[in-house]
Amino acid sequence: MCTMYCPRPVVDTYNERLDITRAPHIDYAQAIPSSYYIDAKACLRVNYETCNLCAQTCTAGAIDFTQQPKELDLSVGAVVLAPGFGRVDEKVLEKFGYGRYPDVLTSFEFERLTCASGPSEGHIVRPSDNKRPKKIAFLQCIGSRDETCGNGYCSSVCCMYAIKEASVAKEHEPDLDISIFFMDVRTMGKGFDDARKRAQEKYGINVIRARVPRVDQVDGKLALTWTTGDGEHHSGLFDMVVLSVGLESPEDADLISRVADIELNHYNFCRTSVDAPLVSSRNGVLVAGAFQGPKDIPESVTQASGAAAIASELLAEARNSQTVTVTYPEEDKALEEEEPRIGVFVCHCGVNIAGVVDVKAVRDYAGTLPGVVLYEDTLYSCSQDALKSIAEKIKENRLNRVVISACSPRTHEPLFQETLRSIGLNPALVEMANIRDQCAWVHAQEPEKATEKAKDLVRMAVAKARLLAPLEQPTVDVTPSALVIGAGAAGMSAALSIADQGYKVVLVEKGRSLGGNLKRLTWTLDGQDASKVLKDMVKKVKAHRNIEVLTSAQVESVSGYVGNFTSTISKGGKTQMINHGVIVLATGGREYKPKGYGYGDSTRVMTQLELEEKLARGKGFLRNAKNVVMIQCVGSRGDDMTHCSRLCCTQAVKNALKLKEAKPEVNVFVFYRDMRTYGFYEDLYREARKKGVKFIRYTSDRKPEVIKLSRGIKVRAYDELIGDDIEIPASLVVLSTGIAPGDNQELSKIIKAPLTSDGFFLEAHAKLRPVEVAVDGVYLCGLAHGPKSLEESVAQAKAAAAKATIPLAKGKVAVAPIVSKVNQDLCIGCGICESLCPFNAITLEKVGKRKKARTITASCKGCGICASHCPTIAISMGGFTDEAIMAQIHAFSPEGCEEE
Amino acid sequence: MSKIKGFCCNYTLSVEVDALKEEGLVPEDLEIERLPCTGRLEVPEILDAFTQGAEAVFVVGCQVDKCHNLSGSYRASKRVKYAKKILEELDMNPDLVEMFFAGRGETEPVVEAARTMASRA
Repeated sequence: MCTMYCPRPVVDTYNERLDITRAPHIDYAQAIPSSYYIDAKACLRVNYETCNLCAQTCTAGAIDFTQQPKELDLSVGAVVLAPGFGRVDEKVLEKFGYGRYPDVLTSFEFERLTCASGPSEGHIVRPSDNKRPKKIAFLQCIGSRDETCGNGYCSSVCCMYAIKEASVAKEHEPDLDISIFFMDVRTMGKGFDDARKRAQEKYGINVIRARVPRVDQVDGKLALTWTTGDGEHHSGLFDMVVLSVGLESPEDADLISRVADIELNHYNFCRTSVDAPLVSSRNGVLVAGAFQGPKDIPESVTQASGAAAIASELLAEARNSQTVTVTYPEEDKALEEEEPRIGVFVCHCGVNIAGVVDVKAVRDYAGTLPGVVLYEDTLYSCSQDALKSIAEKIKENRLNRVVISACSPRTHEPLFQETLRSIGLNPALVEMANIRDQCAWVHAQEPEKATEKAKDLVRMAVAKARLLAPLEQPTVDVTPSALVIGAGAAGMSAALSIADQGYKVVLVEKGRSLGGNLKRLTWTLDGQDASKVLKDMVKKVKAHRNIEVLTSAQVESVSGYVGNFTSTISKGGKTQMINHGVIVLATGGREYKPKGYGYGDSTRVMTQLELEEKLARGKGFLRNAKNVVMIQCVGSRGDDMTHCSRLCCTQAVKNALKLKEAKPEVNVFVFYRDMRTYGFYEDLYREARKKGVKFIRYTSDRKPEVIKLSRGIKVRAYDELIGDDIEIPASLVVLSTGIAPGDNQELSKIIKAPLTSDGFFLEAHAKLRPVEVAVDGVYLCGLAHGPKSLEESVAQAKAAAAKATIPLAKGKVAVAPIVSKVNQDLCIGCGICESLCPFNAITLEKVGKRKKARTITASCKGCGICASHCPTIAISMGGFTDEAIMAQIHAFSPEGCEEE
Repeated sequence: MSKIKGFCCNYTLSVEVDALKEEGLVPEDLEIERLPCTGRLEVPEILDAFTQGAEAVFVVGCQVDKCHNLSGSYRASKRVKYAKKILEELDMNPDLVEMFFAGRGETEPVVEAARTMASRA
């Protein structure tokens, strides 16, 4: 309403200034908090004391112009800095015609264009003439990997988001011709290389490896020129150019640094170290997300959880000292068992529903349905006032079933369930009909039909509501300890964090000593002494009174569910049982052992880790060395392992620099496919190039060959620039072997934690739940999740620790009431349900002489697979009983309803 | 021989002529000769283009004060003036030869020049 009546147009900054909104507005539909706010800079009332229209039109009376800014003093134990990233300066973009030519867009603007709720409703149109473009070019590395604008680092995310945006655009407009101009294709994230392959093969997106220097306009078309690796010049005309802008440090980084008294790095991001990536230079001030360095959503979310873990460590003593417990009145069982007395509340949702659907007609129709004793319409059912009034009306009319005819249960059902609970009704007794999304929104053009459909939905919801039954909300006590499997950098970090937060940890390591792959590392990627990092960590783990370490031990079996796991661990032929509440998987990975390239045949061929070990011992072995050849992507991104191992590029560059330092006159050649020195590691790559390390690109169909000679070896490879094969007599050949998954198969079966096609553990959701496994109470970190650097492993371990301590800290796990329930009288013990259950939530147990299935309620996710496969229909789902669903379906035809 | 002949300095026109023709931005019968610098262009060469069948000839060089070779495009513009004079003496329309200037790497002025000359031919 306020947005509708406001006379003051302002540019919509959320839609990248491509659209116009009003002074009072909400940035986007899913904004949190989901309420409108007033742009004080534009508001006439705030600036000129005129207007006041919105305050008068707001039916909820929610606009109060008398509010003043307040200063708050909070005393806290830890501060987390998560200001995100800043924008690349427009001056940098002007070089590429941005601002001069209307059809040169930033990737942010393009993202809004492709969005269905964006300014063009998802249609890709040129700003200059509103026509559909045919040819689009994406230019990468705008404001990143560019020293001329001061941003020497790689922004890490642009390659992938450009590919995503291009794929989305192709999905929408299959005839589009899209080219992306890369320097290197840096899709090193988990599963990203697959997405890139799909984009190239399925969507036919052209990948061109060239950097376009400038954008020129010719008669409304945009002209680009570029030079490819073979030295050829090319040019082409495009209808639209998208600049893939990088991530900069926040604009107010200096201010943050002053206020929080922390150090920044040379690019104005927060300075952290490899072994403590989330800790700023000041004690108690933590950092997460892009302020620590450019990163994508999964990594930001991971870091955020990790920062929470460190904050919990600092605040371990204060835990639960300021919590507020909500109490609910006793359930009115007698009322629940009475004949259904249904109340229907039809929501206007302001104009959201009422603008299309005739709400009053739907309300009156609801009154004609059997069992309905109260029918009302409300302006905003979800507002505080309305909830209160709904609660009162339920009490007054002694309702025992409630139908809310409004929006999506996904977002609002918990709210109404809470209302029922607060007045002593079981939360399972509410049913929702989504007449906003399913009627008002999708049938906005046909209000009459939308109203009819709304009536249908209400009738069906009422039919189901009549059969709703109260559900128990059981809680289970939690064993307050954790089992951490694997004692590498990730496992030890996770164990330390959980222990520091005050819980017992059993750390199981299958090797003889602690450390995992960190033991083999000589230097961290930022040049620190890896053994020192390792020593510190091991010392802390061994000294910690909350950590019990079991080396040379193996997990044999795991049973139970979140809060109550029991594991059998074998150590030296003996087995022992351990009870614990949660599991952290940190089983690590291993160095890929290369096949071919003469590895094993000649002592001159080695892996990067082996080179590091030699370098650490001294530079004697380089006495006669003239040429050192490094080959990237051995094992990775190929036939053996399809994934990118993420850190070998940086590792190779780091070792190349070490070689140059030990013996400056040695020639170092690096054969690579894409140099993926993302983030600040780009500095190392630039330094290596400056120091004369030679980087030569090869393609997967023309791999370099290592040829054994009578004395020594040589490497033959195709050089694109020369257009011919080159041969390099090599004193040493160093293979950048990737990271292979550990032996996860067996553990995956024991825990029922799924693996990716590459053999790493699969997280529950790449972005939203990056350190959780689909099985409740099991968490994931380190190389077990996928290749990553030490820094990332440590951050992820902290994140896993944060998530793992949630059930431990709560002390009880609440079990969702929507679980399956076996009627053991009907059960024939066939075991189909047990074999199908993806969550290990059904067991067969002996009841008398026969086997019967039983649901482990704490593990059940309510997916319904068991119920749908049970041959004797012995399994029913809480809240979705067969009868209720059938009644709902029958009610679809009005006659069906009468039959009831 | 094409009807429109253009001489371009190396630092203008960044898009290939064929691509421009494909998009219909320039006349089909345009021929562009790329020179390291328009300063090397001599009057006989301009006239030669006419004897070989061109109906209009144009030269595109850098902006006079920003010429890559300092005075190259200035020299070219002087020579175009001589060529105009000769055309006049031959009783031909002096506007059939023209000098244009373009910024570094810019394609648009070249396209405009080609169109202008096509309209004069």
